[in-house]
Amino acid sequence: MKSLLRFFSRIQNLLAVAIIALYTLVAIAAPRLAPPQDPENPSPFRVASVDTTTSRHIPLPPEPGLPLGTAPGRLDVFYTLVWGTRSALRFGLTVALTTACVGISIGAVSAYAGGLVNRLTLRLTDTFLAFPVIAGAALFRLVLYPVNPQDPMTPLQSLLSSLDVGPVMLTLILFSWMSYVRMVNAEIAKLKQVAYVQAARSVGAGHLRLILRHLLPNAISPAVVLIGRDVGGMVILRAAFTFVGIGARSPWGHLLAMGRDWIIGPNGNLVQYWWVYLPVTLALIFFGIGWNLLADGLNSVLNPRGPHQRLW
Amino acid sequence: MPPMLKFIIRRLLAVPLTLLVITVVLYGIVMLAPIEARVSLYEPRGGKSRNPEALRQHIIEEYGLNDPYPVQYARWAFRLLQGDWGWSPLLRADVLEALVARTPATVELTLYSVLLLVPLGLASGVVAGWRPGRPADHGFRLIAFVATSIPPFILGLMLLGIFYVGLRWFPPGRIDIADSFVVTSPSFNTVTGLLTIDGLLNGRLDITLNAFRHLALPAITLGLAHWATLGRVTRAAIIEERTKEYITAARGRGLPKQTVVWRHALRNAMIPGLNSTALSAASLIMGVFVVEIVFQFPGISELATLSWAYTPGAAAAMGFAVYSVLLVLPLMFTLDVIQGIVDPRIREGIAER
Repeated sequence: MKSLLRFFSRIQNLLAVAIIALYTLVAIAAPRLAPPQDPENPSPFRVASVDTTTSRHIPLPPEPGLPLGTAPGRLDVFYTLVWGTRSALRFGLTVALTTACVGISIGAVSAYAGGLVNRLTLRLTDTFLAFPVIAGAALFRLVLYPVNPQDPMTPLQSLLSSLDVGPVMLTLILFSWMSYVRMVNAEIAKLKQVAYVQAARSVGAGHLRLILRHLLPNAISPAVVLIGRDVGGMVILRAAFTFVGIGARSPWGHLLAMGRDWIIGPNGNLVQYWWVYLPVTLALIFFGIGWNLLADGLNSVLNPRGPHQRLW
Repeated sequence: MPPMLKFIIRRLLAVPLTLLVITVVLYGIVMLAPIEARVSLYEPRGGKSRNPEALRQHIIEEYGLNDPYPVQYARWAFRLLQGDWGWSPLLRADVLEALVARTPATVELTLYSVLLLVPLGLASGVVAGWRPGRPADHGFRLIAFVATSIPPFILGLMLLGIFYVGLRWFPPGRIDIADSFVVTSPSFNTVTGLLTIDGLLNGRLDITLNAFRHLALPAITLGLAHWATLGRVTRAAIIEERTKEYITAARGRGLPKQTVVWRHALRNAMIPGLNSTALSAASLIMGVFVVEIVFQFPGISELATLSWAYTPGAAAAMGFAVYSVLLVLPLMFTLDVIQGIVDPRIREGIAER
């Protein structure tokens, strides 16, 4: 309770909660804010129907019924902004929570086992750190996802498609659990020596009980902070991948990629076609800021004596 | 054996291990895909076949693609070691040759970004953290916050808009077209492949300057976010160091403040920052690829982005994935060795990193 009060006594934390609440509201209310044509299977893009003779490649400025105008291809910017929020939240939370679960379990079990097992696990973890995610995304996109939907699928492929896991999500999950392992591992290695754990063990607590009840709750707070930071980070990475053309189907990233030739108007005028890029850019930036602020706030409450308190 | 040498050998032994683990994982995942994926990995040199079905059968038999995984992996890894990385139909080139030809551009960009961001990150962390709460500290925290909030690809677009389209100061690409003819002409000696250095070696200062002009924006874009992270970590470390007794003692003995800050405190405070930079070396290299694409810088990311658009070039994508690890490892290694030089505990393998 006291730490909750302390959390809300800082203006940055209030701001973080407000930003995330706003995105969540938009994501929940998406069907009302921007009614899709096919409510059963809503697409994150909508082609605006407008009566004009201008080429569909030229962005249309905002007008009634089109609050933020259109991007090239006559894509409704506001519509994609709203549905992109839903997609971003889902993607960020899925990736961050999955990687955290994987990383925390590996880290906890191997730290608990200790000795040679732990040294080997940490060695293996470190080797994964040398792999740039973007290369994995580029590869899996080519080899793991069928070009023709009619082709027979391998078990892995049908699993991925039934879970709706794309190449970028798969790569991010496969190659970003390492920091959780290192974090939880370091904490548990310290805790194992503490008297209360030794006491629990001496009265006969089992391995699972020791890890889940006694070790993890006290070792998990740095990982929680990292989850918060990752939600924003993963969404921004995904948008960047879509923007550079490595897939990931991020609606925000796609909109930016479509509009990239219009960011700079005639004579280097940056504001002439502002609606093509500015709303999406701000949506992305504030998404990142919100989760970063939340993570920093959690950090100062959960790890008050940590070396990294109040990073900014 | 001197401890430093032992430390370096220990770090070097990690290189083959890392490559082994990552290739095992990558080929393992490709094994879980349909056999077509592996067939395209072994696409033969040259043009299209008149009989694709027969070619497919031939490849499956020739390379034993129905063999168990360890056998296939070993055969494939051996081919990699021999320098046979496959053929990219889209680039119409040998994958390894294509990668090697584009390496200097990527290395040059990475090199200058790191040379820019590491000293600046350490210095600004020290300046901000030595007197926390002062205007310099507030200023640093604000700039660092903004720098980490803007995604690099958006920052790159903005910088291009302002400094290229608006002001015409810094163009995209690697070098001006006129100079690119000079660089590829036979009278220009290519020694390192890095245009900034080769320009000097050939006595063509204009080429060096032109290359720097093209490097400025990508290097800044890439460096900014990592600079901010490094600065923040260093700031937190120096806040902890500055109240320690050895600092008070040094000041008490009458050592000048500058010596205490930059020689004593920084030496201890730079370890966490260097360590976090080494651990995020892969994300730095990933940033290099993204920035290359945004600024049309012709580095090795071309193998991933050119091959994506048309018929799958699985060999190119696989080669790109393996090769990018080869770029990350030297960077990690260098940063590790610097840590070993600075901190004897790490060198001796006592300290937990």
